[in-house]
Amino acid sequence: MLQVQNIEKYYGSKNNVTKALDRVSFDVEDGEFLAIMGASGSGKTTLLNCISTIDTISAGKILLDGVSVADLSESKLARFRRERLGFVFQDFNLLDTLTIEENIGLALSLNHQDCGTVQNRVREVAGKLGITDILTKFPYQVSGGQKQRAACARAMVAGQSLLLADEPTGALDSRASKNLLEIMSTMNREMEATILMVTHDAYSASYAKRVLFLKDGRVFNELLRGERGRSVFYHEILDVLAVLGGDVSDVI
Amino acid sequence: MSVTLSELSLRNARRQTRDYLVYFVTVVMAAALLYSFNGLVFSQEISTLSGSISMLPTMILLASVVVVYVFGWLVAYATRFMLLRRGRELGIYLLIGLENRQVAGLFFQENLAVGGCALVLGTALGGLLYQAFRAIVLTLFGLPYTFSLGFSLPALGLTVFYFALIYLIALRRSRKYIRKAQIHDLIYVDQVNEDLVIRTGKMRRWIFSVSIALGVVGTCLLMAGGSVLGMIGAACVIAFLFGFFLSFASGVPAFFEKRPARKYRGQNLLVFRTLTAKLATMGTLMAVISLIFTATLISEGTGMMFRGLFNGRAAESACFDLYIGGAGDGSLSQDYLDYIQANISVEQALCYPIYQAEDCRVMDYVESGEEDYYRYLDRDPVLRYSDYAALRAIAGYPPVKFQPGEYLIHCRAYLEKRLTGYTQPVSLGRTSLTPGGVYTEHLLQNYDTSNGPRYIIVVPDEAVEGLAVLHYAYAARTVRPVTEVQFNDLCDINYRLVEQNLQPGYSEIHAKAQEEADAAAQTVLCVFPLFFLALSLTMTAATILTIQQLSETERYRRQFQLLQKLGMDRSEMGKALRNQFAIYYTLPAVPPVLIGVPFILHLAHAPEPGVMVGMSSPGVIAAISLGIFFLIYVIYILLAYTSLKRNILPK
Repeated sequence: MLQVQNIEKYYGSKNNVTKALDRVSFDVEDGEFLAIMGASGSGKTTLLNCISTIDTISAGKILLDGVSVADLSESKLARFRRERLGFVFQDFNLLDTLTIEENIGLALSLNHQDCGTVQNRVREVAGKLGITDILTKFPYQVSGGQKQRAACARAMVAGQSLLLADEPTGALDSRASKNLLEIMSTMNREMEATILMVTHDAYSASYAKRVLFLKDGRVFNELLRGERGRSVFYHEILDVLAVLGGDVSDVI
Repeated sequence: MSVTLSELSLRNARRQTRDYLVYFVTVVMAAALLYSFNGLVFSQEISTLSGSISMLPTMILLASVVVVYVFGWLVAYATRFMLLRRGRELGIYLLIGLENRQVAGLFFQENLAVGGCALVLGTALGGLLYQAFRAIVLTLFGLPYTFSLGFSLPALGLTVFYFALIYLIALRRSRKYIRKAQIHDLIYVDQVNEDLVIRTGKMRRWIFSVSIALGVVGTCLLMAGGSVLGMIGAACVIAFLFGFFLSFASGVPAFFEKRPARKYRGQNLLVFRTLTAKLATMGTLMAVISLIFTATLISEGTGMMFRGLFNGRAAESACFDLYIGGAGDGSLSQDYLDYIQANISVEQALCYPIYQAEDCRVMDYVESGEEDYYRYLDRDPVLRYSDYAALRAIAGYPPVKFQPGEYLIHCRAYLEKRLTGYTQPVSLGRTSLTPGGVYTEHLLQNYDTSNGPRYIIVVPDEAVEGLAVLHYAYAARTVRPVTEVQFNDLCDINYRLVEQNLQPGYSEIHAKAQEEADAAAQTVLCVFPLFFLALSLTMTAATILTIQQLSETERYRRQFQLLQKLGMDRSEMGKALRNQFAIYYTLPAVPPVLIGVPFILHLAHAPEPGVMVGMSSPGVIAAISLGIFFLIYVIYILLAYTSLKRNILPK
């Protein structure tokens, strides 16, 4: 589904260049749940931003279903985001002026879906994510966990094929984090959603089927879960992080 | 439940109105001001009040050009400010699949909705404001005012045109920015650090010193007057403001870093860090705001000066219903008297001579004092007591006591103190007269064709025997006020007599009704546009300062919550907030006061002596100008302070 080919990303001016990504390459298959891990400043978020078209790459190629996202025109790129990509951020990024229901349904409205379809789709997704009872509330009236589930619902409601999550549990307590990760696993398993999640939390990463480790902008290691249990996978991730040299706060 | 882009625009517009209420209120006031002044432009009633008021539409239109530019800048600034504050939200719109042009359209629509709403409310308010202006104008012309709520379509049309101009130009830039913006730029816009303009200490100190010198030189040149010197002075003042704020704002952190003892004293650390975080990147903006405040003070002071000048002149010149002061020592032309007899109903009149004394001792004495005095004559002017008594009766003043062997002095009020101190006898021929008192009612004492320039010596009738006549004059109390047509006819006679060499120079002609109408018209012509300008400028600058302050509400709230956890009590937090407010709002107001007040004082001294007295004296004018400026400014400060205090201090 997604092919990342030798991408590079530079920041800064002529005399002060920072290389955020250095020849990163990997593929993501349909229906895969991939976690990208690394210490602060390793380039995780930059990588996700480049894939999600939030940021541009300095070199290399990103292909989604064989199409280079860098070559899309403005209108095609907008349509691409609308129909193919779903985003979940650490700080939710819900619109304050809209209710939870309207936040989730906004992308569908903008796709010119009729009101009935929008309502049905929103209720269906909300039901799966357990947020039906807060649909009429505004973001400031609900908890962080509920906001993040609403963000997940928004990311999936239009049938987007790739869910991009940037530290989705970063602002949640452990109970809400676990709940969200279970939901994301279910979305991946039952709705066949392809998920690409950036995290520095080993526990969150252990929900994924594969983990890529970044260090100094490069892919350092790759870990496949296979048929192992989540707990075993979690410990393996911790072992890699120990070698990677992330500090304590990065792995808890 | 489906949300369309238009609905989203409206919701955002509502939120913008709520979040930036001070800005919205200012835009409403802008619409109200523009509509009400446009109402004056198109008012038939006002344009027919006097021939002298025909320039009013032009004056207001000229002021409107500046006002539209100033409000345009405010809208452009506020829009850009909100755009950057909401970068993340606009980035999300792009993320969920909107195209840049759609987001630009969304932002454009919501701002137009806010502008449209402000226009509707402002027009309604402007209707009331127009009535207030109408009442002022009619009162100035001495006409009765009756409330009549009307609606002027041309005024509305012009206001809509101004608003369209303001919004289209202001929003064009934001639209362009959004259309070109990358999602990354928008989403992470709040993480971009603003740059310090001046980085090195040496450069900062140099700019600071040079700017202070330029400020002093600029203020002196402004006061020196003249178009070239004035323009150089204005350029120096502008350079001073930019140099001062750029070097001062970035110099504060350096100042405290070198003085840690001061930094940690009391609440200095909190106040200084909060302020410098804001000021260090606001140097240019502070300079612009300071410049606007300087222009405001100068506009207000100039307006007050003109009001005082016109009123002061009118008060003196309008003391008789009709006055004609002939030029030269020949008797007054019969043409004037014939015209008056044929056309004007006179209740009481007097045609009388003004004499010249044999010396100028009183004049020398006046001139040697501190009071301003221009020497129009070489000898003291003299008036017979019988004529003086008749003139007092014509002007409606009570009779005065006059003893034989005495002389009186009638002078302009500003010379009273000086002339009361004159105790010397006056000698006319063989008669010596002793001082009998000083009177100061308005008696038309302007020039050498008046009842003495600034003063006249009143002597017994027999004492003028043998004295040379300076000129003849005519004063009358009429049954009805002299009309504009009658006044113009008398002026025409004056011009004709000079052209035909039947009169050695132009006579001085004053009609009370005409003088008062002229003063009212000149006041309206000069003061209204200047105050229109001043009000718009103050509101714009104060709004920008307030927007900047209120935009930090969330950050301040988090900061005070943390301080509460660290053990700071509420009263201390309140004190810190007040200190921070005081410095933040005082800084941009200090240079304008230092530049504006000397300028106003100097300007108010410029008219002829004796006019700018009482409520129009230079000190009072400067005080009133400062009062008006700070009244509006303090309203904005209180609005910001109460809002911030309510929202950020822990309960």
